[in-house]
Amino acid sequence: MPVPPTTATTTTTGSTTGTRTGFRPPEGADLLRRLRGPGTSRPAVDPGLAGGLRDWLEDGLAEVAAEVAPGGVPVRVTKEALTGVLTCEAHLVARRVAPRVISEELARGSLVDALFRQWVTTGRLEDPWSDALGAVGVGGDTDGIAAFVETLPAERRQALAEEIAEHASGIVARWPVPSPMWLPRTQERVVVPLVGGRVVMSGVVDLAFGGPAGERASVCVVELKSGRRRIEHRGDLHFYALLETLRSGAPPFRIATYYTRTGELDVEAVSEDVLLSALQRVLAGAVRLCRLAAGNEPARSPNGLCAWCTDLPQCEPGQRRAGTNVPRVAGDADGDDDFALVATGLTGEGVEADEQGSEG
Amino acid sequence: MTVPMTTGMSLALPRAGSLTDALMAPPSDTVSAEELRVLREQLAGDLAALVEELPPGEKLRLDEFRFGQAREHPDRLSAVEGPFVASPARCRRAVGLGAVARCLGRRSPSPGAAVAEVLAAGVEDAADGGDPGARPPWWAGWYGGLPAGGRAMVEAEAVTWATQLWTALEWERLVQPVVGGGDDWWDCPGTRALTLRGRADVRVRAVGRPVLLVVGSGVPPSDWRSALGFPALVPALGRGEKSVPARVVGLWPASGQVRILPVDNGALVDAAAAVIRAVSTWVDARLEMRVAGVA
Repeated sequence: MPVPPTTATTTTTGSTTGTRTGFRPPEGADLLRRLRGPGTSRPAVDPGLAGGLRDWLEDGLAEVAAEVAPGGVPVRVTKEALTGVLTCEAHLVARRVAPRVISEELARGSLVDALFRQWVTTGRLEDPWSDALGAVGVGGDTDGIAAFVETLPAERRQALAEEIAEHASGIVARWPVPSPMWLPRTQERVVVPLVGGRVVMSGVVDLAFGGPAGERASVCVVELKSGRRRIEHRGDLHFYALLETLRSGAPPFRIATYYTRTGELDVEAVSEDVLLSALQRVLAGAVRLCRLAAGNEPARSPNGLCAWCTDLPQCEPGQRRAGTNVPRVAGDADGDDDFALVATGLTGEGVEADEQGSEG
Repeated sequence: MTVPMTTGMSLALPRAGSLTDALMAPPSDTVSAEELRVLREQLAGDLAALVEELPPGEKLRLDEFRFGQAREHPDRLSAVEGPFVASPARCRRAVGLGAVARCLGRRSPSPGAAVAEVLAAGVEDAADGGDPGARPPWWAGWYGGLPAGGRAMVEAEAVTWATQLWTALEWERLVQPVVGGGDDWWDCPGTRALTLRGRADVRVRAVGRPVLLVVGSGVPPSDWRSALGFPALVPALGRGEKSVPARVVGLWPASGQVRILPVDNGALVDAAAAVIRAVSTWVDARLEMRVAGVA
């Protein structure tokens, strides 16, 4: 399959580089080499690190978590909640009470996630559009993606199908099917309860491979993005590295974000510094989330997203920042891009699977 | 080697070694035939009295799912149930156990390969092309009718589940391991209205005594002792003191959590009390539904 030419940014093993023309996305053995690195240089696991990180989080959250009503719904710390609460608490609260809206970007994310999962698991992608719809529809279309696609006007549905086909083409062209011996698993849910379950960190890892760690780190975590590359993605990835460390007792040796549209691959080794910065960010966000759950008034932090915030009509600081009290709708102006989608939570990252069913 | 405490363990790396140690540790407690007889009689009497209130012909089968619902979401017992809808999450355990059994028997090199083989065999059996004596698994007909994308999601979900179980233990150190195995049943004496059904994901023997491993999703429930006591209680009631597990180990891969319940008479008595509460809650829910005209 053809590899679409791109003008994009990429990284090799950690540092973000500038835009380069003629960028050629990694593929095949090169892509795997970047993800796996040389087997001989896997870092040794500090057996006390995970426990220390957990203790740090528990200590930092104990006081504020006590303010949350006992026995109530746990305070959920996800990548979306973290980004939201650290951007503007009032905006996060407004988003939570607003009706859930499925956008084409969200649908694209879910459909591409499903195709990637299919490719990694079976090594077959014959009809991307029907495969993707078959995937999101299995078990009753619980996220409503298939139903949303069904309601799209024919032209937009066709455009979405073509877009999905491009993503699929890129995946097939660039991604070798991982050997089953690497123990690849997809959409692996990670849950870390803290302070007696009052706070729960959680995420769903798109792809992890490598067996459980012994003396050396052995797991690589890959996050898939169908949208544009954004700086927040790095925070998401670090959050996943912390989750995996707390869950399994050992950090992953590599974390990576893969962009299906362009083939960009950001790979990073997981150092103690990475985990500590992730921990500080989680702590800062989780404290705010706990205070909101305890009933505190959300703080208003004017920022570049205010123009798209559904709370704008009630938010004076936001109105001063946006210069209006009428929120914009993502996609209603030529200048809108992923920035607006961040504001509405409609980034192309798909819908994270949740625990469901009784047999599992 | 000492028996681990019943609280959550801080597992040393590699965790598969620590978990295997916990599973294979020598038993420290026993339950006598007399203790079990007293417990069985008391429990049967209490349960029979509870289900007497049910309308004639109504039967309850308390399994792990209903037991959990009664403890954690009793309101859901009063909800009108729709038809069962299969999903990748709902059949991952059934497919995953078959895959891990294949790996254990060295018939497949990895969970990924094994899951594909289990699914293919299921479809073949459902299509009458397989072993004429074999009954197709419950998911096979549904799975076989899915489009390619749907089948891939079933496979992917089962691979993830099976890989978590396969990598959780040092299998070569286990004694007489059985993956899945038949469920345990106990028909409550004195009534036809109640059956208990227990299950385990892996069964091994430690110094001749059975030990169970059960895999949970998410995080351990706050009353995890009840959750782990139930699969110990059912074989104890149904098959006697030799079937009482030495311990039940709970593994929650998503959170990396492990809980261990050494099974003594006290643990069985606690589990029986939890069963009585669950059945009472369920019977009340059924009666309320009948009054409301929805049952």
